[in-house]
Amino acid sequence: MGQALRLATEMVAGVAVGGFIGWALDQLFGTAPFLLVTFFILGAVAGIMNVVRTAKSMQGEPLPGEHLRRKVADDDDDDD
Amino acid sequence: MIAKAYAAEDAGHGGGTGLPDPMHQFEIKRLIDLEIFGFDASFTNSALFMVIAALLVTVFTLFAMRKGALVPGRLQSTAELSYEFVANMVRDNVGTEGMKYFPFIFTLFMFVLALNMLGMVPYSFTVTSHIIVTFALAAFIFIAVTLLGFWKHGIKFLKFFVPSGVPFVMLPLLVVIEVISYLTRPVSLSVRLFANMMAGHTMLKVFGSFVVALGLLGGWAALAFMVAFTGLEILVAFLQAYVFAILTCIYLNDALHMH
Repeated sequence: MGQALRLATEMVAGVAVGGFIGWALDQLFGTAPFLLVTFFILGAVAGIMNVVRTAKSMQGEPLPGEHLRRKVADDDDDDD
Repeated sequence: MIAKAYAAEDAGHGGGTGLPDPMHQFEIKRLIDLEIFGFDASFTNSALFMVIAALLVTVFTLFAMRKGALVPGRLQSTAELSYEFVANMVRDNVGTEGMKYFPFIFTLFMFVLALNMLGMVPYSFTVTSHIIVTFALAAFIFIAVTLLGFWKHGIKFLKFFVPSGVPFVMLPLLVVIEVISYLTRPVSLSVRLFANMMAGHTMLKVFGSFVVALGLLGGWAALAFMVAFTGLEILVAFLQAYVFAILTCIYLNDALHMH
């Protein structure tokens, strides 16, 4: 339940924040409703991206901060 | 202004179903009326429980460590365990240079944990079940971490929003999406804590009223469920404080190292 709720939160937060930014910019420039629609979709994209990232970290792919622990073993991370 | 708010509060009661209102436990009550420059700054039950939590954590750590014995007693072990727990969390997620921010993470973890656990005491008030409280905490963390990132890396911190290995044409779109994704952090951080606490406490109240409604014959099933669910809620109270602290560590790591 906890993990599912976490993923749902990420998705909803993306859409909500995108929608809010669009709405605020619309108020600012008086371009309603075009920016709201645009940012709503961009927010949904960001939400899906967050969900994929969270799901990846749940599946045990390198967690944030993993590079710090690995540093001793292999410190040549960006010369392939 | 306050009188008007009181009238609005009173109007919210009286569903007439006979069963207790499961949302009644989240009600904010004014204990000491206070109005500063036209703003309602009353000392509420929410504020009271925040003060209790802060005092509890302070008294607990000070009292447990009063002897500072080399071989710790039971209480001192508890304090040392909580220190080690948070210290390892900071070391694993931010690295040793992150220990500079250990006092903040420790305070945050202990405060949220104390608030969640106090909420499990019957007749008490769960401060973290109000989104404005969790959002204020999350927004403070978010702003502090962002400022820290700009302070450490200067204008180069903006590179954080530019994904690597992306065709030049796609960049304007992806940067906007990355910025939105960054801005969702305080929202998802606060909503997670708030939703878990509120959902859990509402569930407890609803099943509690089932025990009464089903009576002596059927109430036992609901009561057994309540006992198990209370255990789960204590786990959730701890887990959400942990998640809150570990996500703060992860955001701090992003600001310091820009992965």
